[in-house]
Amino acid sequence: MEDLKAYIESGILELYVLGDVTSAEKLQVEEMASKHPAIKAELDEIERSIELYAEENAIEPSEQLRNRILGSLLTNFGDDNNFPTQTHVERENVVVMQPGKETNFYKYAFAACLALLIASAVALYNLYNRLNDTNTQLNAMQVQNQHFSTTVSAKDNELNLLRDTSYKLIHLKGTAKSPESIMTVAFSPSKQKVVIDMGSLKLPANDKTHQYQLWALVGGKPVDLGVFDSTVDSSGFKNMKAIASADAFAVTLEPRGGSASPTLSEMMVLGKY
Amino acid sequence: MSKKRKISLSEEELVLSLQHREKIAVEALYDMYSASLFGVISRIINDTAIAEDVLQETFVKIWHSFSSYSTEKGRLFTWMVNIARNLAIDKIRSKDFKNQNKNQEIENNVTFIDEQRNTVYKPELTGVKDLVQTLKPEQKLIIDLVYFKGYTHVEAAEELGIPLGTIKTRLRMAIQELRKHFN
Repeated sequence: MEDLKAYIESGILELYVLGDVTSAEKLQVEEMASKHPAIKAELDEIERSIELYAEENAIEPSEQLRNRILGSLLTNFGDDNNFPTQTHVERENVVVMQPGKETNFYKYAFAACLALLIASAVALYNLYNRLNDTNTQLNAMQVQNQHFSTTVSAKDNELNLLRDTSYKLIHLKGTAKSPESIMTVAFSPSKQKVVIDMGSLKLPANDKTHQYQLWALVGGKPVDLGVFDSTVDSSGFKNMKAIASADAFAVTLEPRGGSASPTLSEMMVLGKY
Repeated sequence: MSKKRKISLSEEELVLSLQHREKIAVEALYDMYSASLFGVISRIINDTAIAEDVLQETFVKIWHSFSSYSTEKGRLFTWMVNIARNLAIDKIRSKDFKNQNKNQEIENNVTFIDEQRNTVYKPELTGVKDLVQTLKPEQKLIIDLVYFKGYTHVEAAEELGIPLGTIKTRLRMAIQELRKHFN
């Protein structure tokens, strides 16, 4: 009994009730309590004191907290006992809802991306078409521009030639074979240049196997000055082969490429220098 | 009004109906012990909202682990208050709680809370005055440190700079005083 009294007075039982003992000490106290009713009674006394001390120090929680806590416990209570199936379904729902939300988000995001992609593609296609149109127009403008500048420079050349006093204009008149024909040759003996005015050329259009050939008569002999074609839309000046002097100019119709000597029966125009 | 509605059972009846998972036992459990448990939790956790959360966690844990309690182990309240204290101490030592920076250092808290609570909650603490007069200040300090603050008697000895044996003796004397008082 002395041992028991010492054990009680050691303070271990108080620490046991306060949860401040090692697991070995805990087992020891429980063993002692089960063996000795005195220790069990002492423990009960200590517990009651501590409990009453807590009651003295109690703080009443708010009424809302009572509802909240009882609500959460009684919900669990229902889960445990009354509605096991329904609880299962509810849980299933909760589990399904969460990923559902996520999936929806990605669905919408994906749809939005797709819509954006399509819109972008359409816009890009339209833009591409417009770019093509613009390029075509630009090309046409450039061609036109080039045409204009060519024309202008050609006209410049013509004008320069006409202003050049060393040139003399010779009007070749139609022969009996082609009385309507007429053409103008500009000849500069000092520059040894022969130019024909295609713009004022009036000769019957030649076919594909024939070409007109210009001849210069020098001392009664014909000298080849090159071939040309007569078409409806021919224009500008055309440089022919060089020659220093000529008495007269004539044009004959020859096989394509020209002949070594003129076919006199096919002489179309003739003009003296 | 709420006081009138409170359900009270004997501890034996309460334990039995809790073991049978009866609905009324839950309400009785709350009505009989919530204030005592909240008093303990509130002295460990200064923040009322967090203390309320811990009280809820405490009841949830009591309810779910009730099968591990047996009357042979001791009184129901002793078992429950240990759950409450452990949850509260876990909470103030958790990262979340520390990050919230709402806590004061536990050492500074020891007397502060009681001073604060006694003024704030005076109406609910009738009877404490008698008790304060019964207990010597050093007895009250040691019982509060160990009971309300979750100090081990070893930590309390270090904190107060008192030998371990003296701590144990004082604790025992304090509880002896309480026993006299309540008897």
